[in-house]
Amino acid sequence: MPPKIDPAKCDGCQGESEPLCEQVCPGNLMTLNKDSMKAIIKDVSDCWDCMTCTKSCPRQAIQTVLQYQLAYFPGKLIPLVGTNSVTWTSIDCHGKVERFVMKTLAAGDDEDED
Amino acid sequence: MSERICIDADVLIIGGGTAGCLAAWEARQAGGKDLKIVILEKAFIRHSGCLSAGMNALNMYINQGTPEDYVAYVRYDICGAPIREDIVLSVAREVNDTVKIMEEAGLPMKKKEDGRYLNRGKWNIEVNGSLLKPITASKAFEAGAEIYNRVYVTELIIQDNVCVGAVGFGVRDGKFYICRSKVTLLCTGGAAGLWRPNNRRDSHHRIWYFPFNCGSAYAMCKRAGAEMTSFEMRLVPVRTKDTFSPTGTLAIGMGAPMVNALGESFMEKDPYYRSWGGHTAPTPIRMLAFQRETLAHRGPIYMDTTKGDPAKVIGLKGQYLDMSPCIVLYWGCNDIDPSKEPIEIDGGDPHMVGAHAGMSGAWTRGVSRESTVDRLYVSGDALGAAPSRFISGSWTCGRIAARHMVKALKENGYQLAEIPEETLKSLEDLTFQPLRRYAEKIGEGVWTDGTLMGGVSPKDLEARMQKIMEEYCGGRTHWYFVNETYLGIARKHIERMRRDQLQYLCAKDLHDLQLAWDVINRLDVCQLVVEHISFRKETRFPGYVNRTDFPDPDPGFDCFVNSRWDPETDEVNCFKVPYQQLVKGDRKKQSI
Repeated sequence: MPPKIDPAKCDGCQGESEPLCEQVCPGNLMTLNKDSMKAIIKDVSDCWDCMTCTKSCPRQAIQTVLQYQLAYFPGKLIPLVGTNSVTWTSIDCHGKVERFVMKTLAAGDDEDED
Repeated sequence: MSERICIDADVLIIGGGTAGCLAAWEARQAGGKDLKIVILEKAFIRHSGCLSAGMNALNMYINQGTPEDYVAYVRYDICGAPIREDIVLSVAREVNDTVKIMEEAGLPMKKKEDGRYLNRGKWNIEVNGSLLKPITASKAFEAGAEIYNRVYVTELIIQDNVCVGAVGFGVRDGKFYICRSKVTLLCTGGAAGLWRPNNRRDSHHRIWYFPFNCGSAYAMCKRAGAEMTSFEMRLVPVRTKDTFSPTGTLAIGMGAPMVNALGESFMEKDPYYRSWGGHTAPTPIRMLAFQRETLAHRGPIYMDTTKGDPAKVIGLKGQYLDMSPCIVLYWGCNDIDPSKEPIEIDGGDPHMVGAHAGMSGAWTRGVSRESTVDRLYVSGDALGAAPSRFISGSWTCGRIAARHMVKALKENGYQLAEIPEETLKSLEDLTFQPLRRYAEKIGEGVWTDGTLMGGVSPKDLEARMQKIMEEYCGGRTHWYFVNETYLGIARKHIERMRRDQLQYLCAKDLHDLQLAWDVINRLDVCQLVVEHISFRKETRFPGYVNRTDFPDPDPGFDCFVNSRWDPETDEVNCFKVPYQQLVKGDRKKQSI
């Protein structure tokens, strides 16, 4: 399920030393294309689908798309990360929408920054 | 020569994962504020490793009964086979305390009306674990550990069977990192990617275990001369077809049994499986049943989710979003409604893990987690012969290891070692060899597709290794069957790759250097696996390893198989180590 990056939304995390997706990918797969200054994945086949980059992108520029060999077009799954929860929107191939709000941190705690 | 970063540590933790972060925290509690704790992590500690996608349950928690009951369960779950009961018991006695610590760190626990944790089955509790890794990492921050992200550790520094530090390279900066340490904890996970995965091409990493865990802990322990254990006890996962998402959520959460194409619940029908407990039979037996049903042409095999409450499906999807979100997308794209049709399952590529339903790893002394190399400790998936610790048990193992490390440090007054420059120089050459070789080989020419005329890429080597292991060491397409003849061929090729072909391994950049070390480590693990399976001339864990030449258990092998690597001959020498039963009772039955 490689991450696909929308060039209209990705700004390469200007001001950061490296884009957030590059910082968080546990497989060292995301990088900045020096020509376009947009994020790309080094090798789509090496992604484990943890969706960390998708959840971390400050501009929601990353969409997780299943490999076509596994799943039909054009279903979508979009996470929107809040302070203590993540809201998932699942849109199946026929346009049916389901939403899920999943708790991520015990109430009252803010995600610590580092 | 590369630029060097020199670090000195009292406690060095290699791998900032489940075990490593809690080890840092406990080391601070036990060792006081002046202790210098260093973590070397190959990715970014807040989002790295097995926990990066999240997890929806903690599969080790004493909901009922006693720690001894948990040991009886673990023993039963791997067919009554030998386990280190002392180690599992030490974890079981402390795991509930650890979970409490993690709840206080912000992990959202699901609770029942009476305030107790919501259990899922006997030994599991449900959590909202989407941020399990950042919460785990927060314990390392709280401990004030000095954390070096994106440092890939390549080798331990060993002097006269004492571990005195480790070296590696910066994945981004290309610097040579040297960390001297008084005690060292190695916890970089297990090994995926030794066998060929089911999915090909652009989804070859759509596997159950974390594909970036390449067995570096096993390989480094092996190369350090540590005694290794149970590399014949690999884990063969039966998971949801295509996505390889965990099935516990379906089996325990939805009460969904395995059924064949005829709709038969074969675990309850067949007397052999019934004798093992039916649906809850040991993990290898459930794998065996899946294989047998398919080979008897009664496939496909499913988890029957259609008998449960349809209202539970929404909750089911939510649980998967906390752990393996891609399956929700997969269902949406393939018109699958689990309340209306059963979920197809499949067997995946085997993995080497020490903390799940597998038990490969380093052999350790007593419950100290110290390997047979002095001052080298292991935890998490690197710790051998103590299965079914999962996440909560790995947190706990990290804590226990840290206490033993700090105690040994205080009692023995360990000091930092002087490391000769020639040692560092040779370790540096070794670390950067594939990268430097690329620079040399590029002079010999490049094909029009950009590949070297004079070298081999890490991915080429990986593909060759996976083909050998798949075809000659019981891969998925061979239904996990092996015999001595197949193993002999596997041995020949793995030896050839290790002894002869690594001289051509070239890495074009730092990311490629990481992949190069991944395959070097995997080949070391392959050697252990082939020799251990070859040595255990019986079938003790059917479903995991099926030996066609020795299809039954042999009482002569009711013991651990351990090994030690001889650097002079490059041979792995296996030997038997007796099993000690501490918890009384029938080994093939659960006590509660």
